[in-house]
Amino acid sequence: MSTPPAVAGRAAERFWANPATRALAALALVVLLGCCFNAQGAFFKLGTHRDALRQASVFGLLACGMSLVIIGGGIDLAVGSVLALVAVSFSLMSIHWGWAPIVAVPLCLGIGTACGAVAGGLTAGFRIQPFIATLAMMVFARGMAKTISSGMKVSTAVKNADGAYHYVDVPGVFRLIDSRVLGGNLAVVTLIFLVCAALAWIALARHRWGRQLYAIGGNEEAARLSGVPVNLTKILAYAASGLLAAVAGMCQAAQEQQGDPETGAGYELTAIAIVVIGGTTLTGGRGGIGLTLLGTLTIGYLEKILSINAVPEASRLMLTGVIIVVAVLTQRRQRA
Amino acid sequence: MRDQKPSPLSTTFFGAILLTGLLSSCGKSPSAEGTPTSGTGKQKSSYTIGMSQCNLGEPWRVEMNANVKAAADKQPNLKVVFKDAQNDTLKQRAHVEEFVSAGVDLIIISPKEAQPLTEPVAKAMDAGIPVIVLDRRLLGDKYTCFIGADNKKIGRAAGQWIAKKLGGKGKVVELKGLMTSTPGQDRNSGFREGIAGSGVEVVFDPDMKWLEPNARKEMESALSRFDKIDLVYAHNDPGAHGAYLAAKAANREKDILFVGIDALPHEGVAYVSQGILSATFQYPTGGAEAIDMALKILKGDKVPKEVTLGSRLFTKENAAAGGEPLQ
Repeated sequence: MSTPPAVAGRAAERFWANPATRALAALALVVLLGCCFNAQGAFFKLGTHRDALRQASVFGLLACGMSLVIIGGGIDLAVGSVLALVAVSFSLMSIHWGWAPIVAVPLCLGIGTACGAVAGGLTAGFRIQPFIATLAMMVFARGMAKTISSGMKVSTAVKNADGAYHYVDVPGVFRLIDSRVLGGNLAVVTLIFLVCAALAWIALARHRWGRQLYAIGGNEEAARLSGVPVNLTKILAYAASGLLAAVAGMCQAAQEQQGDPETGAGYELTAIAIVVIGGTTLTGGRGGIGLTLLGTLTIGYLEKILSINAVPEASRLMLTGVIIVVAVLTQRRQRA
Repeated sequence: MRDQKPSPLSTTFFGAILLTGLLSSCGKSPSAEGTPTSGTGKQKSSYTIGMSQCNLGEPWRVEMNANVKAAADKQPNLKVVFKDAQNDTLKQRAHVEEFVSAGVDLIIISPKEAQPLTEPVAKAMDAGIPVIVLDRRLLGDKYTCFIGADNKKIGRAAGQWIAKKLGGKGKVVELKGLMTSTPGQDRNSGFREGIAGSGVEVVFDPDMKWLEPNARKEMESALSRFDKIDLVYAHNDPGAHGAYLAAKAANREKDILFVGIDALPHEGVAYVSQGILSATFQYPTGGAEAIDMALKILKGDKVPKEVTLGSRLFTKENAAAGGEPLQ
């Protein structure tokens, strides 16, 4: 961040102190990068942006849940594994058992919510550190995903009793989630993401629960003393994170047309990176869903730009690392 | 965070199916005849084999264990104890040591990496336990027999097949596994050798880290950059499938052919049977061959130090019949 000129002084300082400004600046920078390195015009095609948004949606869903937990002063490492568990469950129910979406979808949402609530309960009720409680859930949910799938991908190739395979159609609900609306210009998963983000925003910014969550993240003891139901509020935040991870899991399964027990490994780190780049502080009490939305776009576009330019994997990792550090440094200035 | 490194190798990275019948010499009781030449020397009515698998997180390795089990189940005198090191070298080392102290009759190991596991295996050999090494190599020669396939050869075969299929020219997208891994390097360099001299041109070759969602993402980039793509060669079948899904979403799947590697029954072979992939090249697990070799060793027969497994090509025409062997 450049030092504001002396004349503009105060106003510019206040302008830059707004985390939304910083998040927008980061996004603008990345988009500018895309305009410069446009891969023979590929960056200017509508389809590129539609795809970038589609790819970012699953991460965005996880990041929304992660924002809630982080604002409440916690962290949720389990989201990637819960995503895998739900992806496998959803595939088993829809592809192998042929259950109707009206049964499968609520059940899957329930599985994710339960995982989140258990992790939240361990943190709030038993005073286990969020890092440890959700780490335990991360390992457990991954194991569960592997157990119910016997370590194999749950795909449209279904094993018969004699060991041979027969093929079933991709379920309609998978096709629906993986389709597009608005004349093919918006992926349904992006729509799902935006709706979920809006709901999370309402809960956080317009509901008493959200205000209490900020209070807990800011100073848990003070919140407790002023009568905030700390445990319940925190458990709800983790449950919401699990719920959003479940939505992400179903989107993942639909886009892969299968339930892969290994899917989503490392996604929690991307989700955390999105939250941080958006400008929500890891110490809790500060931030918001709008910022996370900007963070999602920043990371999503960054990935897309690296991808259309066929940047080698090694350089991508280094670049991503540098950008995360820059974002965190920016945050520190803000607090000073 | 130890479990959290998004290890590329923890997903499928090569695969295969049973090569039943190729080498099978089923049935004879090991106590029937012959003097032992290798370490064991014991002639017993039943044998215990320790199978040390480096990581069951990969479907291909799940398949390998299943192949070992299926072959061993046909032998009433064999009992196989499976251990999964969960991609942890030291855990795998402990497993080998446990097998030695339990006094198993033979060890099959599919090692995670060479250096740290060479010595434990050598100690097992010193203790008189023969060791069959599957898929990945150890250093030196202190093991009984190595069984593995040749990624470079498979990549070359894929390249030649693709050059022929495209009539000697065309634009190809190569979705690479991971260029920091040996299978990725070999499947890349073999393929480039295979298409060398033809008019086949690789226009886009990103890493997709063996992962289907990444492959789809990279393919979307390829589709937005190139109006004409004739074929996608992916280093594994999930990669090819991800590319197909991307092309389908862009309504371009009919103009593009998709070729993968691995040919696991429920993945690549299934995709070929469904007409999604044009071909997949098998990367065999060697599980069944390991049990055949184990029987020979336990009987005291001489076995070759090294067995290179053949690959099979699966296309829609031959998939139901189990594919056709490559040369």
